[in-house]
Amino acid sequence: MSKQADALRVTVPTGAAPARHPRLLTTYRTEAAILLAIVLLELGVGAMIPQALSRGNFADVAQAAAPLIIMAVGQLLVVITGGIDLSVGSVFSLTGMVTALAMAYGFGGVGSTICGLGVGLAVGTINGLLVTFADLAPFVVTLITYAAAGSLAFIVTAGHSMPVPDQNYYLLNSGMLIPGVVNFVLYCVVLTIVVELVLRKVVAGRWLYAIGSSSEASRLLGIPVRATRLSTYVLCSLLASFASVLSLSYISNAEATAGSNLMLQAIAAVVIGGASLFGGTGSAIGAVLGALMITVIQNGVNLIGINSFWQGSVTGVVILVAVLIDRVGKARR
Amino acid sequence: MADAATLLHAEGVHKSYGATQVLRGVQFVLGAGEIHALLGGNGAGKSTLLKIATGSVRRDAGRLLYRGHDTDTAEGAAARDRGIAVVHQEMALLPDLSVAENIHLPHQRRGAAPFRSREAARLATAALAPIDASFAQRAVHQKVAALTLHERQLVEIARALSAGADVLLLDEPTANLTAAETERLFALLRRLATERGIAIVFVSHRMREIRQIASVCTILRDGVNAVSRMPLDSLSDADIVAAMGQATAADTGVAARPAAAASATTGYVVRRNDNALAIPPGGIIGLAGAPAGPEPLIETLIGARAHTGWQVSRDGTPLALRSPRVAVRQGIGFVSGDRSGKGLLATLPIIDNMLAAARVRQGRVAVRGDEVREATGLLQTLRIKAASLWGLPATLSGGTQQKLLIARWLNLKPSLLVLEEPTRGVDIGTKRDLYDLMRLLAAAGTAILWWSTEYGELVELCDAVLAFDSDGRPTDLLRRPDIDETRLALATGMVA
Repeated sequence: MSKQADALRVTVPTGAAPARHPRLLTTYRTEAAILLAIVLLELGVGAMIPQALSRGNFADVAQAAAPLIIMAVGQLLVVITGGIDLSVGSVFSLTGMVTALAMAYGFGGVGSTICGLGVGLAVGTINGLLVTFADLAPFVVTLITYAAAGSLAFIVTAGHSMPVPDQNYYLLNSGMLIPGVVNFVLYCVVLTIVVELVLRKVVAGRWLYAIGSSSEASRLLGIPVRATRLSTYVLCSLLASFASVLSLSYISNAEATAGSNLMLQAIAAVVIGGASLFGGTGSAIGAVLGALMITVIQNGVNLIGINSFWQGSVTGVVILVAVLIDRVGKARR
Repeated sequence: MADAATLLHAEGVHKSYGATQVLRGVQFVLGAGEIHALLGGNGAGKSTLLKIATGSVRRDAGRLLYRGHDTDTAEGAAARDRGIAVVHQEMALLPDLSVAENIHLPHQRRGAAPFRSREAARLATAALAPIDASFAQRAVHQKVAALTLHERQLVEIARALSAGADVLLLDEPTANLTAAETERLFALLRRLATERGIAIVFVSHRMREIRQIASVCTILRDGVNAVSRMPLDSLSDADIVAAMGQATAADTGVAARPAAAASATTGYVVRRNDNALAIPPGGIIGLAGAPAGPEPLIETLIGARAHTGWQVSRDGTPLALRSPRVAVRQGIGFVSGDRSGKGLLATLPIIDNMLAAARVRQGRVAVRGDEVREATGLLQTLRIKAASLWGLPATLSGGTQQKLLIARWLNLKPSLLVLEEPTRGVDIGTKRDLYDLMRLLAAAGTAILWWSTEYGELVELCDAVLAFDSDGRPTDLLRRPDIDETRLALATGMVA
């Protein structure tokens, strides 16, 4: 009798002490482990080549990592919903060519950049519409746009590389909007913080995880599944385009093959960062650290003087180790 | 105790998940040819014990002997793997392969060996014939996907036996069966036990079934033995309920609930052809019968499917429920019968699972700071024991997960709450809690539409029940006090 009485009495949440949020280190366990691994790697390389720990080398690593970081964050959004975007490398290449070409046709720096970002917007929208409304598999859809955008990158200039004619275009990457902070660092930091906060503290961010967890349950809950998924593909492509113009601003030369390695690296970064390709998990900080780790490995391989052909193998081993550690950690919990 | 007839002997079994102790020194003894009921409330540790018996979960401490062999040794484990088979609640057969291939598969140890379809068919026929000869004739070459649930169970049992199993673990095998199928399954189990000495562990929440089929029982409560291997005849229903630590139906009784102040113009009305069903605010309306009837109606109301023939109106105005989002915005809540597929968000913390509907319904943009308080309050209201709000739903027992899904709608004052078999696979105590929640919501003005295959609970709670026959045609609309189990059985053609 008393059981039922209890249930009927306690109708309104009482003023019980709410549970405490889990500690930050518990939430970011995977991320902390990657950070530790990066530090150890860097120290290891530094022990062999002291120059690795110089300020100049850190700047090089950061500069090299920036485009990958931006692409990894975009890829993460898609991966959390249980999708995948294989087209980002081609979008990167095509964006660079279109931007440089626009400059050659006399568009200013801003106008050309907008043209470049338009590539991402267009490809992302096509990806998103085909995945959500035509209900095609993300792998297939983005494989198609990967192939198409990749070939367009060659077509627009008949395969020739394009130098950037605008003398001031480097400012996009290397200028300082905030005194003392180089722009590319600013972009990465702001992007990471914003995306991480959206994922954790904005309802739409939680929807990404919900959709990745069970899109049918999400649909029945009234979550706008299609619109949300569509927007992840658009954002992912847009960020790939942004990474491309940033890289163009630094290198000041556009090549049709510029992005060919980046798709696999972006996906690898997301996986190293603890996201599951089945969807429903992952964090922006993890993806960023994953991208940083890949770059640190490449940098280390270069400094030590190992043939750069080995980079891929080393990265592969690191991904394997990261995924295995994650798996063991989850099994124990 | 470990005499020759003892097949399985577990002693002092401990298991914890994180800080939660699930088993604390459990003993379980299973003799050959015995049908053994394993009982206990949600979270008592039944499922964990079964998983430990099959070796799919590792125990923290304790001994497990199979036919006297220690299962920690390689030979013991191998013998256990051959000897103990689970007949799954969610089926473990390969739907795109034929029955013959499914049964043949465990016999095929080497991938490089040639696949002989004739031999597979012969083996499958031999395995199925003693179970159901006519079914064996008919089904050997069919794909498993084309079989009914009951037929798949038969295939699973045949596969286990032909692979050499002498212990069958059945976790709520009758949950989705019709009365006739249940009867056939029971006859088969009895035959296997008496004629072939197969030992059967039977988990169910239906007291009548347990008495029909089992001879002895073990009852777990909070991870320890409340009853260890006692003959069922020596225990009364009240003894069993008391051992499980739950209030009996007689204790709670039928709580008097004021009839909903219904007028013809308020609330929801659904129509198809000549049939109309009013679901007034504060009313609890039941749906009874096989899925063909209730499912289209439910899917219409929650906006999941159009063109079912059902028309919905609210307060006299027609409603176009084009999508679940539109339905949720109307204040229509839904708790799916497919808990893992359409209910839970398995990779999201408990707190997100609980507040998912509130965020959509109230159009929240940011994750609010007071949501932790809100979720804590809900946990308390529902008396859910969760280690942490940030744990995953998988850390909760099945019944508790069900409460979690209902918790989503509790604070939202839904205009209509649609429930699909919310009490399936849930222990008696949790059922009582769920009934109380329904009464509570109804008292606050929510209209409740509730599909159940347990007539007893429909009789107890509903103001009216719409019954469907097995072809999905509405046959009768019963109103209180004319609702009783016999009439429901007649109207639906199914015995609960």
